[in-house]
Amino acid sequence: MSVLVDWLEMLAEQVRQWGRFSIFTARLFAVTPRALLRFRLIVEQLNNTGARSLVIIMLSGLFVGMVLGLQGYDLLRRFGSTEALGTAAALGLLRELGPVVTALLFAGRAGTSLTSEIGLMSATDQLAAMEMMAVDPIRRVCAPRFIGGVLAMPLLAAIFGLLGILGAYLVGVVIMGVDSGQFWSQMRSSVELKDVVEGIVKSVAFGLACSSIAVFEGYYAVPTAEGVGRATTRTVVVSSVAILALDYMLTAALL
Amino acid sequence: MSVPAAGGWGRSVAVITWPFRHGLRVPGGRLIGQVYAHGAGLVAAKAAHCAALGEVRMTMALADDSQASVSAAARLSGVHYQVRGHSVFKDLNLSIERGKITAIMGPSGTGKTTLLRLITGQLQPDQGQVSVDGVDLAALKTDQLYALRQRMGMLFQNGALLTDLDVYENVAFPLREHADLPESLVARIVLMKLQAVGLRGAARLMPSELSGGMARRIALARAIVMDPKILIYDEPFAGLDPIAMGVVLRLIRNMNQALGLTSIVVSHDVQEITALADTVYLLSEGRVVASGAPASLHNSQDAMVRQFLTGGEEGPVPFHYPAADYLQQMLSQEVPQ
Repeated sequence: MSVLVDWLEMLAEQVRQWGRFSIFTARLFAVTPRALLRFRLIVEQLNNTGARSLVIIMLSGLFVGMVLGLQGYDLLRRFGSTEALGTAAALGLLRELGPVVTALLFAGRAGTSLTSEIGLMSATDQLAAMEMMAVDPIRRVCAPRFIGGVLAMPLLAAIFGLLGILGAYLVGVVIMGVDSGQFWSQMRSSVELKDVVEGIVKSVAFGLACSSIAVFEGYYAVPTAEGVGRATTRTVVVSSVAILALDYMLTAALL
Repeated sequence: MSVPAAGGWGRSVAVITWPFRHGLRVPGGRLIGQVYAHGAGLVAAKAAHCAALGEVRMTMALADDSQASVSAAARLSGVHYQVRGHSVFKDLNLSIERGKITAIMGPSGTGKTTLLRLITGQLQPDQGQVSVDGVDLAALKTDQLYALRQRMGMLFQNGALLTDLDVYENVAFPLREHADLPESLVARIVLMKLQAVGLRGAARLMPSELSGGMARRIALARAIVMDPKILIYDEPFAGLDPIAMGVVLRLIRNMNQALGLTSIVVSHDVQEITALADTVYLLSEGRVVASGAPASLHNSQDAMVRQFLTGGEEGPVPFHYPAADYLQQMLSQEVPQ
């Protein structure tokens, strides 16, 4: 009986959490137009979430591309079509790996940073102080971070894709000896605009999901050291699951 | 010399220059005197600017003059408030007199900070009414509540300075958020407020570089930058050394006198409150157990009041948290569940 009660309480808490998240995102979207006017704040957050994630995104993109080049070459060699390596790498990176891996890295690097920053602001009464100064913390603190994250994600995914293709080129062409001309020409002839658009749509969707989850978890973090730690962990877990679930849905919708 | 009818800005100029008009001679004092002399110009500039911006934010009858007839700056009537089933306030009634320093005292955990959050509208009572300037906070919409809060300043226990901004930007923060003033005017206002708390030289320090007392004073400068009518202090003396405590105490008293503010101070520092407050409310177990002038509390024979003022171990507030019988528990050798 007590197990059933516990289970029901857990379910009720999940429903409450969903309710809180829905109301929070509705407030976030409502204040976004006004927050967009604060250009300087958004540029600061683009720097915080985007520019400071560049190194990890570029390095990861390069290595993912190199692995893709190696695996792709091995697979295509079995069918005697190694010249299609450029196409395989570009499609894989633009449509799938670029947005997904970028979003997962973003959740780990920038998402945790956003959650812990907002959580600590709450724990040290900075958000309460803003409310007392008649400043809405969702508009002043959460919205610029949210917008910065949403704008940064497609840019980071594009850079990831670019470095990934470079990595695949290095392995496929420079090391494994695939013909350079065929690598690029096959890529150019096979990759269409809709493939690029699919990648952009996905990365924007992931940006919306990751950024809103990160600021929500920070805003509602229990204002203690343990509470902020838990909220940061939840950001990574919830964002990762959300990214993979959204990826499936978007892939199914855009195919 | 008096500043022309200029509302909050006139009072602001008056408080900044107050120490210099009362004999304080420091480098720069003359310059500040000149600023005061030109106060009318400054005030007029601000007034013109605000008018130009159409900065009339109050959407309801919160007019300054009409409020003068309301004797209490804030009033709590029959307030009940619970947190997770635990009753914090049971039929709490108290009134904050306009223009006075009112102290809220009581043992730790009696809900003093919760009381402040009720007065500022950050929390809503389960029952009863909280009104500020005669306006029931429960009837206000968010934007109306924010408009009301622009007339209130609050000094948090730890200062609550924004850690990503330096001292100057922290003090300028409310001005930047609520008024589109030219940078030169913002700079003058911020420097005047910083001068009032004695930290003009620390303008470009980051909050992490400040001592506890300095952070509290910067937070005070930020709290008065919008020229509030009610200033709320949450444990302003906690964790301060005697010198910093004396500085903060004098600042609170001077601010209240020179600006004609209503101050609400939550504290359990008996000596400081005795020296500072006009009225004291002593809270215990969710109710007001004593109130009046500090001297009258010292003469009280009430056991709770005596225990609190003397810091006695024996009295209505027990030293031990409720527990099972000591001897029985020691003999049973059971681990507490």
